[in-house]
Amino acid sequence: MEETRKYQFIGVFELSKITSILIANRGEIALRVIRACKQLGIRSIAVYSDEDNRSIHVKKADESYRLGPASAAESYLCIDKIIDIANSAGADAIHPGYGFLSENETFSDQCKKHGIIFIGPTAKSMELAGDKMKCKELMTKADVPTVPGSEGVVDDVDEAAKIAEEAIYPVMLKSAFGGGGRGIRLVTNEKELRQEFELASDESKAAFGKSALFIEKYLEHIRHIEYQLIRDSSGNGRHLFERECSIQRRHQKLIEMAPSPVVDKETRSRVGEIAVRAAAALDYLNAGTAEFLCDSSGNFYFIEINARLQVEHPVTELVTGKDLVKLQIQIAQDEDIEFKQEDLELRGCAIECRINSEDPFYDFTPSVGYVPSCYIPSGPGVRVDTYLYPGCNVSGYYDSLIAKLITYGSSFEESRLRLKNALSEFYIEGIKTTIPIHQTIIEEENFIKGNISTDYIEKFQILQKMKEREKKEQQIKSIAAVSAILLQSEYVKKVGDYKKIKTSSVGGNA
Amino acid sequence: MEFELEGVPGIIKAELILNKGFGDILFKINDKEYDLKLLKFSGSNFEFILGNSFYQVKILHSEGIKYTVDVDGINLEVKKRSKLTEIIEKSRSKSLINRENNISSQIPGRVVKISASQGSGVKKGDPIMILESMKMQVAIKAHKDGTLKEIKAKEGSIIARNDVVAVLE
Repeated sequence: MEETRKYQFIGVFELSKITSILIANRGEIALRVIRACKQLGIRSIAVYSDEDNRSIHVKKADESYRLGPASAAESYLCIDKIIDIANSAGADAIHPGYGFLSENETFSDQCKKHGIIFIGPTAKSMELAGDKMKCKELMTKADVPTVPGSEGVVDDVDEAAKIAEEAIYPVMLKSAFGGGGRGIRLVTNEKELRQEFELASDESKAAFGKSALFIEKYLEHIRHIEYQLIRDSSGNGRHLFERECSIQRRHQKLIEMAPSPVVDKETRSRVGEIAVRAAAALDYLNAGTAEFLCDSSGNFYFIEINARLQVEHPVTELVTGKDLVKLQIQIAQDEDIEFKQEDLELRGCAIECRINSEDPFYDFTPSVGYVPSCYIPSGPGVRVDTYLYPGCNVSGYYDSLIAKLITYGSSFEESRLRLKNALSEFYIEGIKTTIPIHQTIIEEENFIKGNISTDYIEKFQILQKMKEREKKEQQIKSIAAVSAILLQSEYVKKVGDYKKIKTSSVGGNA
Repeated sequence: MEFELEGVPGIIKAELILNKGFGDILFKINDKEYDLKLLKFSGSNFEFILGNSFYQVKILHSEGIKYTVDVDGINLEVKKRSKLTEIIEKSRSKSLINRENNISSQIPGRVVKISASQGSGVKKGDPIMILESMKMQVAIKAHKDGTLKEIKAKEGSIIARNDVVAVLE
């Protein structure tokens, strides 16, 4: 069947070739897509909110168009405005990135109606993937194992309390339309459930414009392992192996890596086949991710398909040598995947740290503002996907992810040591970042041994260890701090003439 | 001069011994001599080589004898010690009492909901309002028991870091 379809469509390949792409996103992912466009000789079209008019994606794209005011609802979530710009700029296709409209089936549908190629799944399979309950049903039919839990969306808080009581606390309160972990809450009793139900509902409405919550039994000491998938319009599906994403804080991934320390060769291809089957069950198109939970006995439970390019896609790119964004564009213009499953090989080890603009010493509260200077690490096996540059602005209007640091090595240890070095080189002035928690984790013995699970941060008191590490660092830096204060109060005061010092003694080094 | 650093045990004694000119300065820190080569400075930003290691230092904030210093991305709270400064500290503590009644936001964001009403009694840990920042909703809680004398923010308003959002009494 695959063969016949290929011949049928061969004549339209040239016609549907994409020559321009509008990137309906911002930050590092917009830049990532712009880079893929440049690789393929495609005209890149950026859009920006007023808050972002000095952002890197605006500067690096071939063309940039203003969307509207700072708030996402009036800019990056505004379907009509984006379609209008795409039409007037003559964009053949739209890449949604992740977050914002990436999993919005109305958007995918609107693109189609206006003759614009949406680089991602069809509205139908997106709807199925986004509706976690319907998806679960299809998976059961396709013989894909799923997490035991409640049925259907829960609209009413009393009903939610009843279901949670039956499932036995703790339970997870999840938004059916959420993504990226936001809107997922762990509740341990009825009082918490009632409080969190309202907050989760509001949050989902604010971020995605709609809310539908469901309840799932919370499994403890589990790993979060996901599979990168791609599937073309001829129905060829491939998996690009797993990513281990167990290091999380409040259901937000912090560190991802490939391979997973608990997945052997046999398991890798066995679960990979399940993942490909899951994609086929949704008649999935383009790149996606099948997320699984893995319990301590090595059982894999499918939880959902993320119908978008994932934040952590570079991990897979480094261990497979494939450019996922390039593949997405090729699939979107109806090309067939040109490699077979057996042509793929997982080589070496890649680890990614998500660097967020949050203060890890103050309950990870957002930290925003001007970044007067920064130093982005580099060197063998070091990749940094970021929108940071000296003089940029980190806005409070959008997600806190400011950089992804990914290292590659022939082994886990080589990759880890490269990560350690790169983290110590990373310097971002003006805002607080999550770099200290990453520095703590990558030197922690359980992480090194591969003894990780989704409760890793609490289980091994990582926040406490981070504080202890910080104290040691402070001790090391104390003489420099004191010297600077003395310099300011004694030297500058005594020498007096600022300009004289600058030009005579330090000018050459400035 | 003597310094106390938060989280660092003991007192650090430091003095400038000799300014050799051209940015070369001799420091004495805890009875040990250090050569400091000042490479760059402007206002509160310094780059220097101290004891053969490079440091990038920024004095982020100073108030009286208290300093917040960033050394290569590590934050330190430093306090200068002297008899005179202790007296100043004591007189300052009076105004601190007033400040303690203020509930301020540690993060910037938009007020999505006011959950307490003016004039009502609140207990420590009670949410006063919900802020939204970076797609997250964060509650601003009362840091002590009291009565809400004033709520300074409205639903929908944008708040900057350290803004006083409510006053207790």
